[in-house]
Amino acid sequence: MIRLGNVRREALLLLTAAVVACAPAAQMGATPGPSTPSGQPTAGGTAPQVPAAQALVPKRGGKLVIATGSDPGQLNPGLTTVSGVHLVADNMFNGLIQFDQKLDPQPNLAERWQVAPDGKSYTFFLRKGVKWHDGQPFTAADVKFTFEEVLLKYHSRTKAGLENVLAGIDTPDETTVLFRFKEPYAPLLRRLDVVEAPILPRHVYAGKDIQTNDANLKPIGTGPFKFAEYVKGDRIRMVRNPDYFKPGLPYLDEVIFRIIPQNTTALLALEQGEVDYASDVPGPEIARLQSSKAVSLVKAPAGPGGSFCIDQMFFNLSRPPLDKLEVRQAFAYGINRQQVLDQVRFGQGRIATGPIASTMGWAYNPNVTKYEFSVAKAKEALAKAGVSNLAVTFVQATAFQRIAEVVKQNMAEVGVKVELKTLDVTAANEQMFVRKDFDLGIGSYCGGPDPEVGVTRAYVSSNIGPIVFSNGAGYRNTRVDELFAQGASTVDQAQRTRLYGEIQDQLTKDLPYWWLTETELFRIHRAEIHDLRVWAGDLAERAWTEKS
Amino acid sequence: MAAYIARRLVQAAGVVLAVVTLVFALIHLAPGDPIYALAGESGNAAYYAEMRAHFGLDRPLPEQFLIYVSDVLRGDFGRSYVQKQPVMQVILARVPATALLLFTALTLASALGIFVGVEAGRRPGSLVDIGIRIGTLLAFCAPAFWMGQLLLLLFGARLGWFPIQGMVTARGGYHGFAYVLDVARHLVLPAVTLGLLQIALIARLTRAGVRESLAEDYVRTAGAKGLGAGAVIYRHALPNALLPVVTVVGGHVGSFITGAVLTEIVFAWPGLGRLLYDATLSRDYPLLMAMFELATVFVVVANLVTDLIYAALDPRVRYR
Repeated sequence: MIRLGNVRREALLLLTAAVVACAPAAQMGATPGPSTPSGQPTAGGTAPQVPAAQALVPKRGGKLVIATGSDPGQLNPGLTTVSGVHLVADNMFNGLIQFDQKLDPQPNLAERWQVAPDGKSYTFFLRKGVKWHDGQPFTAADVKFTFEEVLLKYHSRTKAGLENVLAGIDTPDETTVLFRFKEPYAPLLRRLDVVEAPILPRHVYAGKDIQTNDANLKPIGTGPFKFAEYVKGDRIRMVRNPDYFKPGLPYLDEVIFRIIPQNTTALLALEQGEVDYASDVPGPEIARLQSSKAVSLVKAPAGPGGSFCIDQMFFNLSRPPLDKLEVRQAFAYGINRQQVLDQVRFGQGRIATGPIASTMGWAYNPNVTKYEFSVAKAKEALAKAGVSNLAVTFVQATAFQRIAEVVKQNMAEVGVKVELKTLDVTAANEQMFVRKDFDLGIGSYCGGPDPEVGVTRAYVSSNIGPIVFSNGAGYRNTRVDELFAQGASTVDQAQRTRLYGEIQDQLTKDLPYWWLTETELFRIHRAEIHDLRVWAGDLAERAWTEKS
Repeated sequence: MAAYIARRLVQAAGVVLAVVTLVFALIHLAPGDPIYALAGESGNAAYYAEMRAHFGLDRPLPEQFLIYVSDVLRGDFGRSYVQKQPVMQVILARVPATALLLFTALTLASALGIFVGVEAGRRPGSLVDIGIRIGTLLAFCAPAFWMGQLLLLLFGARLGWFPIQGMVTARGGYHGFAYVLDVARHLVLPAVTLGLLQIALIARLTRAGVRESLAEDYVRTAGAKGLGAGAVIYRHALPNALLPVVTVVGGHVGSFITGAVLTEIVFAWPGLGRLLYDATLSRDYPLLMAMFELATVFVVVANLVTDLIYAALDPRVRYR
């Protein structure tokens, strides 16, 4: 026998130590990484701050390093809505239009456009002389091919939005594209930026399997930057497109996306100057960073991950007593949203008033039914409903766990027992939207550039599951259905404002959801970087650096 | 010996097959459908159905399993749902970075761990010994990601001695020897983070082994015939003291890999760690399966090699 006496004792001691050490490790290991997988909030908020330095004259040259939380895996933005892909790839492509800071459509690949008076067809006149990165000319055939063969098959948001309303796409000549609709369709222009509809080269993709094409790793676009290299798990590097169709742009020689999974590491790297921009700032650091001269914090209402996002809880309306309005009112009164905003979002955003974010100016209605935080009113509402000893299960993804804890604590004051069920994002979405096994659920609904893009889906009765981010509450109101349908097919903006205003009024009375906060996450960059388009997909098109 | 090796190989193959079956069942039966992860924020019933048929997820689970196993036996591990590339291509691109990190950390841990263990073991009860024992216990208890963050804050952010993240400088521009140096500078903090736990493990086991060996007759004999203290310890006492270290460290390979996953995430090291995490969140079945298979084979082979070395060193083991 080998004598293992002392060694055994050591092994036992270490085992004990490991058990002690691993308990917290297992818990914390469950939620590392950024809290923004696809479908999670990555944008929100107020109108973008105009950097004071915008008056400076842009300088040419230099490299920009951008931190991204996930390896995109592939670089074809037409195949997916995953924000990690769009953050990177959108800088190599273009949409027909581009959003300005107010998110109004501006010319891009399309020089100008005409909307038919009946709202049923849109004609786009394409810019002439645009070349793909491989030198081939860009034509109307590329646009038609991209929509028919890629976006309407694989880009889940554009597919869901357009496939049932679009009648066809025609190309009368090489520089004209005509979109025909079955019914008048108002929001088209807001669906045509590089995030929603990046235009891909037909000559590269036609006749081959789109999903496995080599160009998905070495993309060829029309965008301001050309692909240079992709080191899996480490970086994607792109260089200036000298033939870009906007004269003088871009300013930067190179853009490098650095894959840094943890936002805390990315922030340290930014402060040390290893990277220049990060789109995810750890909440507890914000106060300190706001006084730093080396970095600038900016807010953006939109971005490649989604725009105008609202964290909203939803009630399973098919489960009594949540079908009673008074019970839902008890939650509305009982949850301290200021606490959520301060303690969970670290002040990033504002308390929501309804289903449309206050920053979506033209569509927002401030005069709706409001519910101020009041434990007494919450108790009163419960009493009115005749409900006592209420206990509910709250299903949520890990990204919402801390909000859920606030809700649990608040509702305990009211006398409602909230049991938390925290799952990873995929499992949580399945439980809430597909299996519908929950009392309370929560999600970040991003309204998108137009209410029709991202708001409608949560409230119309035709979209009650089993679809992720559908009408999770199971809400049915024929008047609301009708208003949304009119909103989609009305082209007159003032008329639409009125329609969406009435929708907000009705929804805040019915309370199928409880809207907590409009998220307004900060982006951060080194102070020497200017003119990043933080609200759009083509982040680096006009960016420049004081250093070169 | 040949019969022993053959027996162990058959056992190893059985373990791999069992793990593959178990992991396949666990992954597919766990809540969370890859199609919903893939569709992200939006999608519709038609999209779900098309994608499910596209990936073969509409078939019964046993059939999916048989298809999967027969594909793997023919060397086809499938394509990643999210990345759209063959999974082996995706994984192999990440292996060099992880291998470099593991190899460096293990070398560091072996050299430092043995040295520290010997120094503590030869003076039991001294201040050095007590200091080392406390230090190693703390190092063993600290989770890799927490230790990593502390090292980052001190040596990366505060002192600025080492870069914060990555394997090479993002802005690039290094070639030849300068490139090697650049990688080396990036390697220091993650390798130390990952190695610390192993240093602690090896040091404590070495210390115990050395203490035990020092009490043996043959060591006293070595001293009595006039050998210096260093020679007595490193030539006579240490080899026997290391036998159990080899076994325990070999059996610890699994947790070493886990530590590597966490370390890679903290330091943005471009290896397999983050890939595993992302694949789990997105339920990228083919990628997940292949990574679990790779890890299983690695652990099984490591244990097999450990046992074979042990059998070679200690003839009694073979005949059991």
